[in-house]
Amino acid sequence: MIAAGRTAKERESLAHQNNAIMAVLERAGFEQIAPDIIQPADIFLERSGEDIRARTFVFSDPDGNELCLRPDLTVPACRFHLSHAADAAKEARYSYLGPAFRFPDEKLSPQEFTQAGLEWFGASDAVAAEARMLKLAISALEAAGLSNLKVTIGDVGLFAALLADTPMPDRWRRRLKHQFWRPQAFKALLQSFTDGGSKGRTSISDVIDSIGKQKATDAAQSWMDRHDLPQQGNRSLSDVAARLAEKLADRSEAALPKTASAVLESYLALEGGAEDMAAKLAGIKGGVNFATASAAYQQRLTAMEEQGLNPKRFHFSANFGREIEYYTGFVFQVEAKGIAVAGGGRYDDMLSDLGASSRIPATGFAIHTERVARALA
Amino acid sequence: MKTLTLGIPSKGRLMEQAQQLIESAGYKIERIGSDRGYRGLLVGADDVEVAFLSASDIASALKSGEIDAGITGEDLLREKIAPDDTAPADVALRLNFGPANVVVAVPDFWLDVAQMSDLDEVAQQFYATQGRRLRVATKYMNLTRRFFAAKGVTGYRIVESLGATEGAPAAGSAELIVDITTSGATLTANHLKILDDGLILKSCAVLACRKASESDPRLTDFNSALSRKLQS
Repeated sequence: MIAAGRTAKERESLAHQNNAIMAVLERAGFEQIAPDIIQPADIFLERSGEDIRARTFVFSDPDGNELCLRPDLTVPACRFHLSHAADAAKEARYSYLGPAFRFPDEKLSPQEFTQAGLEWFGASDAVAAEARMLKLAISALEAAGLSNLKVTIGDVGLFAALLADTPMPDRWRRRLKHQFWRPQAFKALLQSFTDGGSKGRTSISDVIDSIGKQKATDAAQSWMDRHDLPQQGNRSLSDVAARLAEKLADRSEAALPKTASAVLESYLALEGGAEDMAAKLAGIKGGVNFATASAAYQQRLTAMEEQGLNPKRFHFSANFGREIEYYTGFVFQVEAKGIAVAGGGRYDDMLSDLGASSRIPATGFAIHTERVARALA
Repeated sequence: MKTLTLGIPSKGRLMEQAQQLIESAGYKIERIGSDRGYRGLLVGADDVEVAFLSASDIASALKSGEIDAGITGEDLLREKIAPDDTAPADVALRLNFGPANVVVAVPDFWLDVAQMSDLDEVAQQFYATQGRRLRVATKYMNLTRRFFAAKGVTGYRIVESLGATEGAPAAGSAELIVDITTSGATLTANHLKILDDGLILKSCAVLACRKASESDPRLTDFNSALSRKLQS
């Protein structure tokens, strides 16, 4: 039978470990807050869509509102900040320690687990904050008793910059950016662009034919009148017409040069020592955006050294960070004895997505405390 | 020898067609006991009980192991049990009745949407302009999630619908639907169109067996008797 709960000794040992972790974060000026455990499900579902529902405990209150047990503490900490801070854009440093809940995805991972971590909002010096955050994660893990930590870093901002520098229609770029998080779909999409987009006929080809020389809105309107179609599905005629016009434009679009897709693919294949990457990034034929992002990468390594870290020992992977869609820049993960014990990064879009009036820099990480205990055992 | 339990639909066309097939294959279903007729015996096989259940409950009971085999719709089976290595039950025989397709259908008005990749783009645009996710009305929550994930479509929400799903877009409670259709006439009447690559499942009635029981001779005999009848 699976153990239902912790014994007094287990509880005390985990609490002891977590106190050591939290002491590091609080000493660094991150005040410990306690975000709500029960959260409105909407915020998680609207942000992440259906994927998260399959992993989250969602339930209804007697009025039919959907609630959930928090699947992590990042969104709850963001909501805490927005509801407490007089000025959301002003710098704020929070730490937290508490339970989170997920349906187990592997047989051994528990459905309730304790996360320790921090969120740092509104820090003005981006690379300095990222280096500091990584340093704190490592110090906290070491304070808990771990050593020989393996650090992997990535930067999804590098790819966004390279894509911005690659000449192609904006709508193609938008689609590639969206599928970046799903490597399989991304590869297929990129392939379809180098093949000249999808030129085959589909069930809407006749509608696109009908546009001819008139405006797309007129063509769409007359198609609707002719077929007596009601306007269903909460979209405007101009949205529909705009996409039809794009489809028409796609027909005469030149294929994406193989050299351009090769540059994107060669970047995504980069992997190796974090310090060797500077030279490898210089070998990628990007433009001005990529040069800026590469410079930031280099500055971040310098900032890490200033924090007393040794980035020579860190591993870089261009693909790393592709599974969590909310990251916008630097990402990292720390492993001990092959167990992923901590992870975090930058997610500058989250606070504005949750209702802040401007884009607010945000970084943070979470430590899986039960996994730390497992690595220590 | 352990008693086997076979789930048979308790009502509707599926019940009639299942019973007809079973009887024409040389078996007989006999209702027994005071259990208001929800239990029976499969005459012609040794120690096989019959449980009369709704088609949806048959799929659930196959998953939980309450029954060893059953006749139900493939759509319901796949909704409850994903077809992978760990599936506790799977299709043993496809039957020649109850054909229906599970499809993704969007409003006819969406003139710019032909494929799932279009839907993905529209979902992004919808979120950017309206700040909420596209809603998909369906009773097939798992089939929908699996199919959309395989097609790389994200950024939608499922609204559970237990009846008259095809009316949801017109009523404004969802933007699109995943539903079962035979001729497509109901969809057309509701100004909905099936996406070019929106066929999730070509479903029909199936005999499904628990993996643990599928090689039991009583079930393999039953399976071959039905199979012979279907081919004749």
